[in-house]
Amino acid sequence: MSELYPSIAQCAVLATALKVLLWPAYKSTDFEVHRNWLAITHSLPVQKWYYEKTSEWTLDYPPFFAYFEWTLSQFAKYADAAMLQVQNLGYDSWETVYFQRATVIVTELVLVYALHLYVKSAPQSSKRTSHAAALSILLSPGLLIIDHIHFQYNGFLYGILVLSIVLALKRSGLLLSGIIFAALLCFKHIYLYLAPAYFVYLLRAYCLGEKSIFRFQFTNCIKLGAGIVAVFALAFAPFVYWGQMDQLLSRLFPFSRGLCHAYWAPNVWAMYSFSDRVLIYVAPYLKLPVNRDAVNSVTRGLVGDTSFAVLPDIPPRMTFILTLAAQALPLIKLFFQPTWDNFVGALTLCGYASFLFGWHVHEKAILLVIIPFSLLALKDRRYLGAFRPLAVSGHVSLFPLLFTAQEFPIKTVYTIFWLVGFLFAFDNLAPA
Amino acid sequence: MKPTDPQPTVSTDDPGAVFPQVPRCRVLDDGKPSELCKCPQPTNEMYCSRDSGDAETIKPTDKGCDEPTDKFTVIIWRSFDARGVVRRIKTFGPRLDRSRVNHSATAVLGRAPDVRVCWTASVSVGMPPPPASHRPRKKRKGDTIALSGNNGTIVTDSVGAKPAFPLVAFLFPARGTVSQWVTLPLILMAVGLFRWATGFWGYSGFQKPPMHGDFEAQRHWMEVTINLPISHWYFHDLQWWGLDYPPLTAYHSWLLGQVGNLINTDWFMIHQSRGLDDHDLKVFMRATVIVSEYLIFIPAATICVRHLGRLAGISTWESSIALTAILMQPATLLIDHGHFQYNTVMLGFVVASISSMLGGQPLWGCVYFVAALGFKQMALFYAPAVFAYLLGICLFPRINIVRFLGIALVTVASFAVLFLPILLGGLYDAHRNIPLPSTVELPPLLSSLPFHVSEKAWYYPMLLQLTQAIHRIFPFARGLFEDKVANIWCAIHTSGIHKLYQYDSALLSRAALGLTSLSILPACIIIFLMPRRNILPWAFASVSWGFFLCSYQVHEKNVLLPLLPMTLLLASEGGLKADMRAWIGFANILGSWTLYPLLKKDELRIPYFVLTLLWAYLMGLPPVSTSTYFGAQSGEISAATKLLHMVFYLGMVAWHVAEAFIPPPASKPDLWVVGNVCLGTAGFGICYLWCSWNLLAKSRLLAWGKKVPKPEEKKL
Repeated sequence: MSELYPSIAQCAVLATALKVLLWPAYKSTDFEVHRNWLAITHSLPVQKWYYEKTSEWTLDYPPFFAYFEWTLSQFAKYADAAMLQVQNLGYDSWETVYFQRATVIVTELVLVYALHLYVKSAPQSSKRTSHAAALSILLSPGLLIIDHIHFQYNGFLYGILVLSIVLALKRSGLLLSGIIFAALLCFKHIYLYLAPAYFVYLLRAYCLGEKSIFRFQFTNCIKLGAGIVAVFALAFAPFVYWGQMDQLLSRLFPFSRGLCHAYWAPNVWAMYSFSDRVLIYVAPYLKLPVNRDAVNSVTRGLVGDTSFAVLPDIPPRMTFILTLAAQALPLIKLFFQPTWDNFVGALTLCGYASFLFGWHVHEKAILLVIIPFSLLALKDRRYLGAFRPLAVSGHVSLFPLLFTAQEFPIKTVYTIFWLVGFLFAFDNLAPA
Repeated sequence: MKPTDPQPTVSTDDPGAVFPQVPRCRVLDDGKPSELCKCPQPTNEMYCSRDSGDAETIKPTDKGCDEPTDKFTVIIWRSFDARGVVRRIKTFGPRLDRSRVNHSATAVLGRAPDVRVCWTASVSVGMPPPPASHRPRKKRKGDTIALSGNNGTIVTDSVGAKPAFPLVAFLFPARGTVSQWVTLPLILMAVGLFRWATGFWGYSGFQKPPMHGDFEAQRHWMEVTINLPISHWYFHDLQWWGLDYPPLTAYHSWLLGQVGNLINTDWFMIHQSRGLDDHDLKVFMRATVIVSEYLIFIPAATICVRHLGRLAGISTWESSIALTAILMQPATLLIDHGHFQYNTVMLGFVVASISSMLGGQPLWGCVYFVAALGFKQMALFYAPAVFAYLLGICLFPRINIVRFLGIALVTVASFAVLFLPILLGGLYDAHRNIPLPSTVELPPLLSSLPFHVSEKAWYYPMLLQLTQAIHRIFPFARGLFEDKVANIWCAIHTSGIHKLYQYDSALLSRAALGLTSLSILPACIIIFLMPRRNILPWAFASVSWGFFLCSYQVHEKNVLLPLLPMTLLLASEGGLKADMRAWIGFANILGSWTLYPLLKKDELRIPYFVLTLLWAYLMGLPPVSTSTYFGAQSGEISAATKLLHMVFYLGMVAWHVAEAFIPPPASKPDLWVVGNVCLGTAGFGICYLWCSWNLLAKSRLLAWGKKVPKPEEKKL
């Protein structure tokens, strides 16, 4: 079999060129958030990291991400030391911008490596399709918009996720896969939504016997348990030791935030809010009680509870029950047929469930669905049929993140480019 | 089963009479006829050939199409409807394997349900050419290897076909069966993204009072044209970026100004908006460059590349690669979308002109060339080549008075249309008694007319406008060169070989004129005596290099002019082979490099490095890659060329290192810029010689002692 073109490395070079050209583009407050974290981790002792609140953008990612920021800050001082001062709010000299933008590009190499591994470990018969899927993730408009314009480190984090998924392809990689996923949770806890699929898959494929679920693989359990505990200990032990866990958890899980994000993510609660809005006008005719206080606050989800005027309020517990209920079905199937394809399918559906029913979901979380699904989209035409509308609407739903005129052509043209190119290629490649 | 019927099936002028009776089904699958062959009649043909070309030039092959060897590089499919009329012709790229062939046949069937088709793989001789608007291409016999469909994009080794350079890899999946209506939009979107992203960076004169730069000049012309009466356009304040481009630029500015004024009236308030650096204004101005380019340059380049491809029998796929390379030219991107200018409009008209000449429509060529001149007078760089070619096709192979008169008439008419709005506007403003600005000086040209013109004459306002426009457009009073430019005069002067201040400027202009004439003469003579279409880009390149190097009043940005026809050669015969790619790439990278001092002033260092290195990477060229020079195809490049290019590449890299880390001595603050100019001049001089030499060699003016077959291309 000849090599596949364009190779992942070639695409990475081309994409990097475009990403570097996008350095002066619009950047969201997330840029300042990450600059602030660089400053916090660099200039304060670890004990103060989760207490520092000079900036409104407090550190609210788990410790590994804080360590990651600390590592970056070791290089940042050579670019521009002024960005590392906590008091320097909103500091964005061009050195700072170039440095931070460059770190996003460099850390994305994790994703490049993970995808390379994915293609390498794919069976010969599906090399071509795996290669196409890998390129589609590498060149994803979602990552371009969120990471390289809006500013975040998703390429790095999804790289870890893909790495973990790819390792799970072989039985020998299951342990490492689980440990890497545990580490990923300590980078960004949003991936907790995918944890049920990991739990079921590792339990069934690694901890229980292949033939009978009652044959307990004791050594495997010990290995996996010890690995995961070690990872979590590395992340949280210092904070447990200092007695800071309550503070840390309150930072990580800010339930004081509303049901919907300031921009509604296109999920069930958006429909719910919208219905509520409509009902405000309809309620007088239906003789339903209207909560006057809530009429003006439905979209204000940034801080404080979202309250509904007509429909009942949704407590966080409710969203969790719904999410878990929606996740249950694929998990049951995964439990009885623990194949890799089912595992990736379960991951996708867990992501879907959390996106649709989760509490305070960002529109960016759609990547949680798109990226695992991409690995499976070329399995056959039925999968592709489900992937196509997701790819279109998922990426288009990211457009509101960029609202400036200058970035408008980039987000639209790039997304159309990606959709035309990859959906056309997928259509040609997908087996019947 | 090996097919055994490759012999010609039919030779007739009337295919409809014969074809339906000769349904030929090629057995594609082992032993059993392919499903597609079940259709009884009429028939469609699949030609297998070493080459594309007209039906009569296609040789029957002794092997079937279903053998993926190098021999079957291009497959032409024709489908016929019930009357035997050619409905669809499709050409597929090299090295198709059989599964692909079947697949494509299905695709074609699916798209044309009204055509009952049956694919066979026999070869026909004497079929009429497809009903195309272009003239049928002629193929030279004798060099089928060069035309074997592999124009240098693919390297074949023991493992299989590999892309010869990374750009090919990106288009690899589109090889063969993917419709160009998918490939082309993707290419145009991709190059558009790079253009727009380049526009995020700085532009000339950003927050640099007092004069700002080209961005301000263009903005100012918009406000001048939309706010002042047309008779004032060429009279308004010369000191603040007075309009000194030909009328088409003025009309273009007027149009853009009107659009911009709808968005925000603050952008174009005459006098008050000077030096405005509003971010939204920047976005608007960048958008106007892109839109103008996509309306003019890009369609022209796309069509021109197709014409070049047809002349040389290059597959659409390989032409797409060349097109991408042309559209990603770093120098053009950096100047138009970084520094800020509208060069691609003028260059687009030039490409349209070349394209029309290649397509055998010299009159349209005249119209487009006048448009190019009417947009930016720098298109004069090409004028001698255009003139010599057009004159040549009127005289050779036989004198053609009608064509000559047609060309003359169309050219004069185009110029008349170009100046008409200005002239009529002048007349109308005089009629409305709108006075000229009080500070106005009459153009010297008017007073030097050999006859007396009364100010009362009805045509006086028109004459005044015309002479003033010409006076503004051709500022003979300016110096020999501006700033630091990699041409001969600047190199001689600044390098200290010989200081040119001591001479009278009239003498210097005459010297420049003489030297320029001398440098363009060879190319002009060749294209005049041998006005053949396939050497046209070479002639353009040679003449414009001559102009760039020796002429007068040249800017460093003008290097775009010689680079354009030279880069177009990528789409011509053998254009993507290692040798041509190395030379064309060398010129482009050197050209981009000589622009660095200018781009540095505009804060465009990062886009410069990104776009230049990206282009070098895509084309497999130094400093990023040495695959062209030392890879599988490097045998095509002579050792002398390799050495020469490597010296220059090393020089460029060393220069960047030096410029970045070593401050120039106090006595010679411009040392690095001068170094850039001198190395650039030397390199461009070599490019000039290379283009001229190849022009001579390809013109067949000299037979070089060998028996060269008579050129078969019909001289226009």
